[in-house]
Amino acid sequence: MAVFFLAGAAVLLSQNGDWLRVVQPRVWKFPEDHGSHPGFKTEWWYFTGNLSDQVGAKFGYELTFFRQGVRFAPMNAENPWSVRDLYLGHFTVTDVSRGSFRAEDILSRSGPGLAGARMGQMDVWLLDWSARMREGEILLSAHKNGLEISLRLKPRKPVVLHGSNGLSQKGAAEGVASYYASFTDLETSGTLTPSKNGPAVTVAGTSWFDHEFSSDILAKDQIGWDWFSLHLSDGRDLMIYFMRRADGSVEASSSGTLIERSGAAHHLARDEIALDILDRWRSPKSGGNYPSRWRIAISAAGIDLVITPLLADQELVAAGLPDLVYWEGAVAGEGSSGGRPITAEGYVELTGYAGNLKSILK
Amino acid sequence: MKTVTRSFLRYTFRRRGLTVLQFLGIACGVAATVGIVLSARSALTGFSKAIEFLKGKSTHSIERPAGPMDEGILVRLMGDPAVEAFSPVIERSLRLSTAAGAPGFARGSTSGVLARGYKPRASSEPKARPLTGETARILGIDPFLDKNVRPELAYAVTTDKADENLSDRLTFLTKNNAVLVEAQLAHRLGVSVGAAIHTVKGDFEVVGVFPNPSGEPLLLMDIDHAQRLFGLDGRIDRVDLVLNDEPGFLSRWENGYHVQTSLKRRETLAHMLRAFRLNLEALSLLALFVGIFLIYNTAMFAVVSRKKDAGILRSLGAYRSEIVGAFLTEILLLGSFGGLAGGVLGYFLSRFLAGEVGGTISNLYFFLQPAPPSWSLWIVVAGTLLGGIASLLGSLWPLLELVRTDPVRALSGRTADRRSGADARRLATIGAGMILLSLLVLFLSSTQVYAGFAGAFGFLIGASLLTGLALVLVSPPLKRTMARLGGLPGKAAAGNIHLNLGRTAVAVAAFMVALSMSIGLSTMIGSFRRSVERWLDNQISGDLYISSMDELDVPVSFYDELRAVKGIEGVDPYRKTLTSFQGTSAYVSAVDAGVLQRFANFAFLKGGRENWDRVKTGEVIISESFARRFGVKAGDTVTLDAVHGPAKLRVAAVFYDYTSEHGILMMDRAHYLRLFEDPTITSLGIFVDPGNPKRGEILAEVGRRAGDYDLPVFSRDELHANALKVFDSAFAVTTSMRVLAIIVAFFGIAGAILTLFIERQREFGIYRALGFSTLQVGGITLMEGVAMGLLSFIMSLGVGTAMAVILIQVINLRSFNWTVFFYPTGMPYLLAAATALLAGLGGSLYPIFKAWRTYPQMQIREE
Repeated sequence: MAVFFLAGAAVLLSQNGDWLRVVQPRVWKFPEDHGSHPGFKTEWWYFTGNLSDQVGAKFGYELTFFRQGVRFAPMNAENPWSVRDLYLGHFTVTDVSRGSFRAEDILSRSGPGLAGARMGQMDVWLLDWSARMREGEILLSAHKNGLEISLRLKPRKPVVLHGSNGLSQKGAAEGVASYYASFTDLETSGTLTPSKNGPAVTVAGTSWFDHEFSSDILAKDQIGWDWFSLHLSDGRDLMIYFMRRADGSVEASSSGTLIERSGAAHHLARDEIALDILDRWRSPKSGGNYPSRWRIAISAAGIDLVITPLLADQELVAAGLPDLVYWEGAVAGEGSSGGRPITAEGYVELTGYAGNLKSILK
Repeated sequence: MKTVTRSFLRYTFRRRGLTVLQFLGIACGVAATVGIVLSARSALTGFSKAIEFLKGKSTHSIERPAGPMDEGILVRLMGDPAVEAFSPVIERSLRLSTAAGAPGFARGSTSGVLARGYKPRASSEPKARPLTGETARILGIDPFLDKNVRPELAYAVTTDKADENLSDRLTFLTKNNAVLVEAQLAHRLGVSVGAAIHTVKGDFEVVGVFPNPSGEPLLLMDIDHAQRLFGLDGRIDRVDLVLNDEPGFLSRWENGYHVQTSLKRRETLAHMLRAFRLNLEALSLLALFVGIFLIYNTAMFAVVSRKKDAGILRSLGAYRSEIVGAFLTEILLLGSFGGLAGGVLGYFLSRFLAGEVGGTISNLYFFLQPAPPSWSLWIVVAGTLLGGIASLLGSLWPLLELVRTDPVRALSGRTADRRSGADARRLATIGAGMILLSLLVLFLSSTQVYAGFAGAFGFLIGASLLTGLALVLVSPPLKRTMARLGGLPGKAAAGNIHLNLGRTAVAVAAFMVALSMSIGLSTMIGSFRRSVERWLDNQISGDLYISSMDELDVPVSFYDELRAVKGIEGVDPYRKTLTSFQGTSAYVSAVDAGVLQRFANFAFLKGGRENWDRVKTGEVIISESFARRFGVKAGDTVTLDAVHGPAKLRVAAVFYDYTSEHGILMMDRAHYLRLFEDPTITSLGIFVDPGNPKRGEILAEVGRRAGDYDLPVFSRDELHANALKVFDSAFAVTTSMRVLAIIVAFFGIAGAILTLFIERQREFGIYRALGFSTLQVGGITLMEGVAMGLLSFIMSLGVGTAMAVILIQVINLRSFNWTVFFYPTGMPYLLAAATALLAGLGGSLYPIFKAWRTYPQMQIREE
């Protein structure tokens, strides 16, 4: 969800007129809709996962592809270098046992085959990073500066449509919304090289895939958001996003989705979710004062959890955009679900706590 | 201060005129050396810095053997496991203009503006506006990919303020004319963000300014816009790479590509400058040589003029060491201050020369715009040291002489030195030996350029050692001639030259060397120019030439269009580009063999038009420089790396060429296209039948169509003029050095003559007492000075001509691998004669003035 920053900026910089808006429910068709929707200005394919190797050492990863429209019609349509979209990739690995967090990023235009996303199927690439769906399985591959990942992701649950049949409202105004679909439970296996010149480790675990596209995603009075994707040990998955406003309040249209073991999904309204911050962590790098421990309670679903980051510092500063700073990290939790004690793992994303978001969004 | 030293320094002050001349001589000698060394160094360090800066973190670069390549290579590089980072680059140079919307062509191509007369767009007729003439390197890059190779530049793309950050980046991408400008260039042009820069290819908008430590004018443009600007859609010049596995990469990209390490790339470019650099170094050596000779001259006269003082002081009880110390103090002071002034002078000279050197390199090799040498205190220190050390070296021999002189002999002051005749013979023997040895070196070392230079210098030194003997030998006839011309005073003048052989020989030798260098260089340049002119007449025989300036190519579509124009009988699409051959650089060029066979009159070493028949069948012709450099002759087979791997090509013939000392391999365009898949056209030659009644109309039509493409048109004469202009600018440094050598020598001989007379002032009194009139005394002096100047000139006739032959037959041939035909003209000799005469006159005027003014009795009295 970090691309919101870039999205916000580009709203100002690009010709807005021709982009499609998210105002009405969409007729979805899968797997075609895993592909690109170039009519919308902003789109991302977001993979996070909690993995462990054969001896139980824990890892977290994030691999994200953003497509950000710059001009609806490129200036010189015949030249592939002429910019229509920019592609931004973020790749992070959290090595829990070593206490290390590494992040790499790539920014590129489409160019002559340098980056792109195909329509009608999931096939996204950014130089030699890629996410491709083949026969129902997703293949992820990325490497940079010795950090390397190669994973095979197999959905255990069907596609989840968030919000109202996949239309996820982000602000009060019409059109401030996205189309939002996920694979919340992906059986994951593959290899991971967490350090330069280090050996590749065979890993397995669970991943989460978010796919969102929109043209107008952040309201003017919003400063950032807290986003949670959790796999509960009883087979349930939980997604929550809280849009935060400048006055400290939480946007009323913030919401969540609870996915049952069976794959059935329930929309959770803002007032069904109780989210308390139990602790904070101040980043020595950026000075950002991030929440670092939460209590999540959804009484209607019998869920009561305490969530803790596996590593305090999982803050990401993109080299290409030094003012784009956010925290995106692997977390673990415990508590109860449906009255039974459970554990949980997943990812949390916290934006708008550091960096110069305001100036980018101005 | 010691009495002895004080007395010496007082003398220096008293003889202000002489001191000033000596001072100027030393200053000029040092200035010449410092100027040329500094400018050469600034050009070369500028070159290294620019290369270093532009290479960034890249370890290698990949390009096609010739011409730009398809950008499809990027996707393949993207998937290569050895590639850590890659960045496509379009690298060209572009001329800037000063006024808005005033496309035009400056420096070396002014006549291109004439071509604009053909343009039909009268409404937008550009007014003749001044052009800065400054050329900047322009780099077309993708900022995102380039970030990993040149982070400094990427940083320039994203300025530090976040709000400007993103919008700047996007302006750079989305505005067709957006550029980032190197800070010093921006400063010079007085532009900041938002301002416009005017170029021959239209106006650019400055969206950012970045620092460039190399100081080279540099513009950055998005690759999309650069491709369009240079008509390169879908193509790039090269890709800079960061590789982690060189052998692995090379094994995959061996065929059809040229992969170079950044170091090798730099070496290759540096190698191209080798001959040029060497000649520059030789030139600075020459400056130093003349400088030291002059300083020696000065020092020697300083000693001689003190000989008697020394004798007096010694007989008054001064120690020998005191005398030596005083002498050293004087000469060191003079040398150091002269050197200091020379350093400062040399610095200013270098600022002028650096531009010349850069321009020459840009004209002849590749774009290079060195930053002017920056001021440093070391320049003064170096100048002072140079002046001081050269003075010491120069005074070593005279000093020994002084030390050996016993006080009584010294007291008698200047005496006619009877030994000098024997000395002259001994020196002449050494000189003759040196000349012999030098000639031996010149003939035996057939390819070594260094040996060539050593031989040339050896010859010059040897010749200068012959001067004494020459003076002895010419003495009797000289005396007769001068007696006939000037009566008794003339005879006395001739006698004086002979009598003071130890002094006059050195002055004459120094002047002779300077004049010989002047004659040699001038004759070489003149012959070279004439050879080029004759060659141009043969080679450039089209009616019109259409060429794009500043590495902009001629669109292929325009070539096709022209071929369809009725009345045009031949269009030669010329292409010339650098390629690698046998691990070094050479040019490959493409022509339409059929067209040239019909219309051009190529100067082949052997054979004529029939050579083209074989070119049509796929054979190649090579330039003389190629033949000599790589030891290839007609009938041999050369192997050239082409797109589909190595190609074996048979050499049909060798042709004369003066465009590149690195060698040109020429082939028919059809074969070039097959081998290199590079359709680029560098220029077009248009041939129309001279008998065609519609000739004028056809040529005007070509001009009109070229105007539509914004391409300049040159007539044959304009092209010739341009080529000669480039030639002249290439020799600008040499010419400046030649002038400087003359100036230095002028001061030298004037100073020498002046000293000689001052030393002998008493004689003037004696002459007067003997009944010579003041006029006659003046006449003696004048004749003596002029005779010395003329003697120098007469000697330089032979030595200078020999130098010219050495420069042409040895230095040029070995440095540049081409034959320059010897075309001597009278001009260099006349110039030398005039200089000699003027210096002789100039040197005698002051003593004459003194003789005129001073009361004769006073002059008899010992000072």
